[in-house]
Amino acid sequence: MDCNGCEFRPELYYDDQYQIWARREEDGSLTVGMTDISQTIAGKILHVRVRKPGTLRPAGKPVATIESGKWAGPVPNVFDCVIEAANHDVLEDPNLLNIEPYEAWIARVKPAGNLEEALALLVTGETARAGYCERTRREDIHCERGAR
Amino acid sequence: MQWRVIDTGVRRAAENMALNRALLDARQADESPSTLRFLRFTPCALLGFHQSAEQELNLEYCAEHGVDVQRRITGGGAIYFDETQLGWELYLHKRDLGTADMSVITRRICEAAARGISALGVNAVFRPRNDIEVDGRKISGTGGAFDGDALMYQGTLLIQFDVEKMLRVLRIPAEKLADKAIASARERVINLADLLGDVPALEKVQASIQQAFAAEFGVEFMPGGLNATEQRRYEEALAEIDTPDWVDMVQKPVSDRPLLEAVQKFAGGLLRVRVAYDKPTERLKQLWFTGDVFLQPKRTLADLEAHLRDSPLERLDENIAAFFSGRPADMLGLTPADFATVIKAAVAAEKEQA
Repeated sequence: MDCNGCEFRPELYYDDQYQIWARREEDGSLTVGMTDISQTIAGKILHVRVRKPGTLRPAGKPVATIESGKWAGPVPNVFDCVIEAANHDVLEDPNLLNIEPYEAWIARVKPAGNLEEALALLVTGETARAGYCERTRREDIHCERGAR
Repeated sequence: MQWRVIDTGVRRAAENMALNRALLDARQADESPSTLRFLRFTPCALLGFHQSAEQELNLEYCAEHGVDVQRRITGGGAIYFDETQLGWELYLHKRDLGTADMSVITRRICEAAARGISALGVNAVFRPRNDIEVDGRKISGTGGAFDGDALMYQGTLLIQFDVEKMLRVLRIPAEKLADKAIASARERVINLADLLGDVPALEKVQASIQQAFAAEFGVEFMPGGLNATEQRRYEEALAEIDTPDWVDMVQKPVSDRPLLEAVQKFAGGLLRVRVAYDKPTERLKQLWFTGDVFLQPKRTLADLEAHLRDSPLERLDENIAAFFSGRPADMLGLTPADFATVIKAAVAAEKEQA
C-alpha cells in the first residue's frame, strides 16, 4: 500500500492521528517518538525539550515539545504516564528526528495505570497501516527525510 | 463563513501569553471560532519557547527598567515588545488552511499580512522564512505554535518602535550598543509611522490587516470577546504562566553560550566578528560582523549574519558557499573563505581556553 512515501512500521503502536509512535519494551515501559508524517509536517526540527524524568504527564499534556522554523508545538500524549528518560542524542541533535524518525526515539515513559489499558488507546498492525496511509492521502502529505 | 475579531488592548506580557495558551487550547477543543486577535504590550522581553533567559537577555537591565520577562508559546528568538508595536494573531483550525505543511501555512498568512500592511500605502513583502519587509527593512516578525489540529500564528508590526530599546534588553556584545552600531541596527528595521510620515490611527491599521485576512480566507469578521470557557482557560493559563517557574522553564548556563571574538586582516580589509556560540551543540547562534571592509550591496553582511544564524559549525564552509553562490556581491578583494576563516578563529580561541 502506498503511503505517499511515508514509512510505516506495523509492529509499533500509534495515536489515532498518527502523530506519535510507541514501542512496547520488556520492562513494561513504552518508548515514544514522532512518526514520519509528523517529522515531515514539522520540517527541520531545531529544538526538542522533554519533561524531567519522574514527571507525571496526564493524557493531553505533551511528553515533549519541538520547534521548527519558528513553529513550536507538542509531541502529544494520549495516556497518563510518567517520564522515565529522554534520548540525549536527540536533545543534542534534534535533526535526528528528521533523518530516522523511528530510530530516534524521544522519551521512555511508564503508563501510570495498566499497560494494556494504555495500549488499548492506540492502534497497531494492519489497522494502523490503513489509517496511517489514509491520513497521508487525505491531507496530501508526502514524506521527506532530512539530511545531515 | 464568519470568524471572530478581538482587540484585547494593552496588557502585561503574562496576560498576553496566557491568552495565547487559552485561545489556542480552546480552538483545539473546538470551543472557539477561528479568530483574529489584535494585542499590545506594556514593556517586556519575550523569549522564544525553547530559549533560556540567562543566555538571551540582559536580566539586570530588564529588572532596573521595569521590563517584564516572559516566555512565548511560539518558537523563534527573543524580542522586545512595548506600546509602540501592534501584535496580530490568527487562531485557526487546519480545516481553514487545507494543508498541514508549516512552511506553506507561514507563507500564506505572511503574504496576506503583507498585503494588509501594503494597503496602508507602503510596499510590504513576505521575506522567508518569517519576516515581512519594506525595501529590505523589517517591519514585522512572525512565529507560530500548533497543537493537534489547531494553530496560532502571530506577528508584530512596528509602528513607532525604537530598536535601541530592544538591543538593550538582549544579551549582545557591548559594542553593539555604540552609536554607530545602533544606527546600523536602525537601518535594518522600519516603522510604519516613518513610512507614512505620520502615526497612523490604530483602528485604520487593524482594519487593513483584518480586511486582508478576510479576503485571503474568504471570511467575514465579527467583533467579539472571550466566551466563558475561554475566560476560564485564560485564568488557569495565567496562574501557570505568570510565575517564575514558567519563565525559567528552560534554564541553560551562560557559560554554555560564550560571546567570542576574532579580528583578522585580509587582502580586502580588516574583518571582525563576534559570535554567540553554543558549546553543547557546537552551533553558531548569532554573528555580528564589523570591520574596515567594503561590500555592495550594503546589506550583504546583515544577510550573511541572518543566513548563518543557528547553524552548525561543522557546516560553516558549505553554508557560506551556498550563501554567496548566485548572489552577486562586490567585495573589493574580500573572499567568501575569509568569512569562514575569521569565524573559525573566534571559535578556536575559545576551544584553546577550554
